Amino acid sequence: MIQRSLIFRILLLLVFLPGATIMAQEANIAEGTTLFKNNCASCHNKNMKDDLTGPALGGVEERWADYPQEDLYSWIRNSQKLVGEGHPRAVQLYNDWNKSVMNSFTQFTDEQIANVLAYIDFQYNYVPEGVLTDGVVVTEEEDNSTLFLVIIIGLIGLVLVLMRVASKLNVMVKVEDGEELQPERTLFDVLKSKSMIATFVLIAVVAGGSMMADKAINLGRQQGYMPDQPIKFSHATHAGLNQIDCNYCHDGARRSKHSVIPAANTCMNCHKAIKKGSTYGTAELTKIFASIGFDPKSGTYLEDYENMDVGEIELIFKAWIESQSEEETPEKKAAQVEEEWDAVVASLTNDRKDDFRGPIEWIRIHNLPDHVYFNHAQHVKVGEVDCESCHGKVEEMEVVEQYSPLSMGWCINCHRKTEVQFDGNEYYKSYENYHNQLSAGDRDKVTVEEIGGLECQKCHY
Amino acid sequence: MKNNNKEVWIGHNDINSPELQEIAKQEFANTVPVVDSMADEKVMESSTNRRDFLKYLGFGLGAATVAASCEIPVKRAIPYVVKPDEIVPGVASYYASSFVRGGDFSSILVKTREGRPIKIEGNSLSPVSHGGTSARAQAAVLDLYNVNRISKPSMPWAELDQEIMKALASSKNIRLVGNTNMSPTAKKAMGEFLAAYPAAKAVNYDAVSASGILEANDASFGMATIPSYHFDKADFIISFGADFLGTWISSEEFQYGYVKNRKVDPKAETPTMSHHTQIESYMSLTGSNADNRIMVRPSEQGSAIKAFYNALKGSSMGSDLNEKARTALEKLAAKVKASSGKVLVVSGSNNVAEQVVVNAINEMLGSYGSTITFDRASNQRQGIDKNILDLVAEMKSGKVDAMIVMDANPAYDLPEASDFAAAMSKVKTSVFMSSVPNETGALCNYTAPTPHFLEAWGDVEPKKGMFSIVQPTISPLFDTRQGEESLLVWASSANLDQTSDQPYYEYLKANWESTMFPMQNNFMSFQSFWDKTLHDGVFTAKASEPAINMVADVNAYLNKISKPGQGEEIVLFETIAMGAGEYADNPWLQELPDPVSRTTWGNYFGIPVSWEGGNSMVTYKDLNQGEYKGNADIVEVSANGIAQNITCIASFGLATDTFSAALGAGRSVVGFAGKNVGTNSMSWLTRDKDGNVQYFNALDAEPKKTDLVDTEFPCVQYHHTFGITGQEDGKEINVDEKTLMTIGEGFQGGLTDRSIIYQANLSEVNDLKAKIAKKRDFAKHLNDATLYPYEEYNEKYYSQGHHWGMAIDLNACLGCGACQVACVAENNVPVVGKEEVSRHHEMTWLRIDRYFFGDHENPNTVYQPMMCQHCDNAPCENVCPVGATNHSSEGLNQMTYNRCIGTRYCANNCPFKVRRLNWYDYTTADLFGGNEVSVNGEEIPFGADNLTRMVLNPDVTVRSRGVIEKCSFCVQRIQEGKLTAKKEGRALREGDVKPACQTACVTGAITFGDFNNEDGALAKALDSELNYLVLEETNVQSSVHYSAKIVNRDEAIS
Repeated sequence: MIQRSLIFRILLLLVFLPGATIMAQEANIAEGTTLFKNNCASCHNKNMKDDLTGPALGGVEERWADYPQEDLYSWIRNSQKLVGEGHPRAVQLYNDWNKSVMNSFTQFTDEQIANVLAYIDFQYNYVPEGVLTDGVVVTEEEDNSTLFLVIIIGLIGLVLVLMRVASKLNVMVKVEDGEELQPERTLFDVLKSKSMIATFVLIAVVAGGSMMADKAINLGRQQGYMPDQPIKFSHATHAGLNQIDCNYCHDGARRSKHSVIPAANTCMNCHKAIKKGSTYGTAELTKIFASIGFDPKSGTYLEDYENMDVGEIELIFKAWIESQSEEETPEKKAAQVEEEWDAVVASLTNDRKDDFRGPIEWIRIHNLPDHVYFNHAQHVKVGEVDCESCHGKVEEMEVVEQYSPLSMGWCINCHRKTEVQFDGNEYYKSYENYHNQLSAGDRDKVTVEEIGGLECQKCHY
Repeated sequence: MKNNNKEVWIGHNDINSPELQEIAKQEFANTVPVVDSMADEKVMESSTNRRDFLKYLGFGLGAATVAASCEIPVKRAIPYVVKPDEIVPGVASYYASSFVRGGDFSSILVKTREGRPIKIEGNSLSPVSHGGTSARAQAAVLDLYNVNRISKPSMPWAELDQEIMKALASSKNIRLVGNTNMSPTAKKAMGEFLAAYPAAKAVNYDAVSASGILEANDASFGMATIPSYHFDKADFIISFGADFLGTWISSEEFQYGYVKNRKVDPKAETPTMSHHTQIESYMSLTGSNADNRIMVRPSEQGSAIKAFYNALKGSSMGSDLNEKARTALEKLAAKVKASSGKVLVVSGSNNVAEQVVVNAINEMLGSYGSTITFDRASNQRQGIDKNILDLVAEMKSGKVDAMIVMDANPAYDLPEASDFAAAMSKVKTSVFMSSVPNETGALCNYTAPTPHFLEAWGDVEPKKGMFSIVQPTISPLFDTRQGEESLLVWASSANLDQTSDQPYYEYLKANWESTMFPMQNNFMSFQSFWDKTLHDGVFTAKASEPAINMVADVNAYLNKISKPGQGEEIVLFETIAMGAGEYADNPWLQELPDPVSRTTWGNYFGIPVSWEGGNSMVTYKDLNQGEYKGNADIVEVSANGIAQNITCIASFGLATDTFSAALGAGRSVVGFAGKNVGTNSMSWLTRDKDGNVQYFNALDAEPKKTDLVDTEFPCVQYHHTFGITGQEDGKEINVDEKTLMTIGEGFQGGLTDRSIIYQANLSEVNDLKAKIAKKRDFAKHLNDATLYPYEEYNEKYYSQGHHWGMAIDLNACLGCGACQVACVAENNVPVVGKEEVSRHHEMTWLRIDRYFFGDHENPNTVYQPMMCQHCDNAPCENVCPVGATNHSSEGLNQMTYNRCIGTRYCANNCPFKVRRLNWYDYTTADLFGGNEVSVNGEEIPFGADNLTRMVLNPDVTVRSRGVIEKCSFCVQRIQEGKLTAKKEGRALREGDVKPACQTACVTGAITFGDFNNEDGALAKALDSELNYLVLEETNVQSSVHYSAKIVNRDEAIS
């Protein structure tokens, strides 16, 4: 399912390189990103291509090209003012979107708006293929390896040239001294020499060994693992846009070792009312209904669902999809119904489960080996660690990926740095020495390491 | 001549074998025939040359490369569809229920994870089992996942019901055959069945029966019940062959009471404890804990009771008892005579006359109303032996035309099992109701499988008015139906709502509403009463003491007591693990060593050991000279005209001309674990004139030595046991573990005068305190010259946070083995099988070492639970080349399986011999096949199937081949307890962390805690001058403290 190979890494590198270049040119995209996330993303789709609560923003500047730039800027700052003034584009937009009012952002400077627009443009025009659906440029250290490579090759070239010069000079000195000349060694002779072969073998062994060690260490690690899930569940929509707290669905995180994949009935708390998705319409949500046995048309659960006739169930859901279809012709509608229903069945079944009813079998992304004990409650409840410190910005992920390496080194490093929440937790009273040192000002914090967080049997037993 | 050895020993080999003594003096054995053993397997002839090496290297590299480029398998995360509110995945839920099997009972809490039961704990609210569990109860959770369970009825239920009802309607004599039934609701259901079929009759029997007591109490008081015995109220406990701490009637209840009066207060000026005399023929678990043992031959048991009665009475009637025992009993009688109301006399005899006399003795000593009461009469044994005898006769005559066997196994566990089996062919309709197959089931026409008790509803009334609930903790795994429900269906009961989801549950509730609810007045509504009962698991109704009136004519019964037999005799006994064979298919119990003989997997023929002065111990006919090497002789034994081969075990404490063998072995139709393990000794049982089964018999002839030798002798006595002490040339020597298993007799570490066991008589407690103080001072003096900056560590690490430790009271430890099975269940400890045990490969993290001291032929016993001592200066840690074992700041000796490469340096360097290597892939955790071992000839290794794996504790890693494992102080429980405290933002409380061994123990022998908690139970336990550390002089700074064994031995008796 995942292929973590060198090719992948090279691809990743290629993806980042243009990003880095663009960033060098217009350093303001990063700021635009932040501004967009904080202010616009709750209504505007960040792929810039699809409508959400507000219209898709891709190509916004072209659409306003007939008017002076200030108009667009003041629309963004306060759209109602422009509508009130009777600006033709503003009025048209207002009416097209059912007179829903866009929030005011009077605090935005021109520069900020320019940044946001730059980001919108960047997002709209540039979407790398397959790898990063998000396309957000993460502020990263500039990759200097190419430069180093060039410098090293240059230096080697220089050494060779100088060696050649030195040898020629030697020859000249010998000629001057009238010494007998040895036949000159060709490059081939040099390459064939024992010392050269030995050097190459040594380099090959060292490089091979280091590569193998690297590969072996990474065996079984899946950072960046981003499998297709049976349901195209978007954390960006739920956690990002709708600001649903992580703990609402992953309710085990505060009390159990498992964060818990929510049961279908947790989904139904909201989706009993929201029966059609903003992005996929009926295509994805019908999967949940088919899993749990909910008739979206009547808004009720189906009685004795496990024993119902499959054909009957199929009719119920197909009728639902059809009733919601936005296709124009009946043929197209029928095709959509067939297609969506087939996808529902396909994603809820697999080689071990032939009935679409019953649990949704998600692909597990974060896999720890069996000999590792990890407890969410310890970290989330006691350590007060934010979810995103290990899982990344899940609220921005359309498709969830494994953000952290989940390697032992990664755990250990965090335990070395992280401060224990000593204050207000009576449990830690037993560490008298540390408390004394803290109150005497001899130390400013106690790390997890200092209360035994690096010991084997904290995680392995 | 006083053959009293002040030092301890473990078996006959270590005191008498000159060879062993010689080896013991050396640090390492010189004779290491490794090469020989390898030559056998032609290992030496195989050639691995450079080319092969390169080939394998190349292949290995290639394979690794291929493996590295493989795709990682897709794992799925499957949530609930509708999540039950009470389940949080990853958090255990506990449900109160009861362990019931025939007359065995424990009130329990069942630990479930994600809806599957994984561990059984005691329910401390129970007034019967007091929060304790037996080894059997601990192991019961494994039975739930037994692959040999009956998965479906012999035909679909509706058809089965139809056929059976048709057959029953036309039957003239229907018999319900079962063991003791303690469930009031099941009895009601049975009553409905008997009412619906007037031709039906219920026949109850118990394989190990108390029929004699029931009938004797009927004769004495007109009450055919077993009374309550209060061992805690007795200053003198006298037991005529009753194994009340092991297998007799209600062992956890008795252990709990017994120990109350056996713990010595070390602060007292003159410490006191009860005095326990055991009069018996072989050394039972109870006998091994007794202060004085009086040895009588099995057939002399009656005479012994009679002699004691006469001695109390002051009558000068002659006695046919052996002189030594008679004098001892007379002295005992004189000793206890004055302590009216403070004496408790019990007898395990199954003879009515003997039990009537015991009743008379108790009457004379004023026990009734004080140490024996009838207010809470016990229901734990109800079987009347002669009923089943009548049944066999009826069957033979062809009178019985229908039979329903309810979880019983008369075709195996009756003395006339073969007659029963033969007569089964004359029974037209026979229905078998059980969850597992057995010998009787194989002979029945129909099978109506029942669920395991963890899947069933029910109730229990082990003692009058003391109820306990059985509630399911998992949906039935197989197509089963409760026996009670089946009976009600066949009776076409109007009270059973068959359309309901759980018909028997409704029936049970209705019965509780009408019967138990009116017994209380705390609750106004039934629902709240029911909820509370279900939550607590127990309900106790009021009870009152009935008037007791001795009506029997004792003299008539005195005359009925039969005279001792002549010649050699065999005593047949029940073990704590196997029962009467009903536990035979439980691998955990098969691998649990018998506390006294220390044998696993099967039963063994106990042969006496006699002392010839000095260090010379001689076994019967010089058999079993190679016992310590894992070789035991096989003899042919014949009783009742049935001759069988059986492996010997040298046994201390056997009476003259007496041999012993355990019951419950040699099952033929049973799950794989019990199949043909051991020798079926049931056929050697006999009956007395009243038809009551007698658990001894005269041998037809002397046991005959055969040429056969059991080379897979799974006795763990000489395994991993350190510190055997013998005497030679006036010097004490110690012999350590026999590390080299089958290949040689190498013993390790022959140093002298180690502190392992301290024991003394009650009168010498002060001397012992002085001795311990002196030894500990000396150890401290030695330890002061250390390279390790212990104080610095202590200041920096151990004094901060927690510092875990344990205290074990050797006086409270009775050796019952519950902790050992609890440890196996909690920590996913693998089962290895008979052959592997014989090769010293048993994996138990906790073993119970048994040491003898005192009289050579009739010794006293110390049980010492031994597990990783979590040394703060651990010798194992220093020698690990890969740092797989190291120390935590909380004082835990940590074992990291993933780092371990299996050098076994740590195991060799461990002075306590508690580290275990996975020699094979016992858990089938490997990626590669072929590393597994087969357990009892089974093709699929134990635990390889997904059903058995459901019992695994998900918080504990399953270890693979080639790694060392050992006690972790239940670190998963420590972490869980700490986390609970942290989450609640409070300091860790006493009781937040309790390891599995501690929770299993009913006597409180094990106390676990934090050394830094100055007010905790651990600190209290350590505040004793009897406290010592094992091998303290080696400066390992171990964390497990032991409190010395004190016995109240009266040298005049015995």
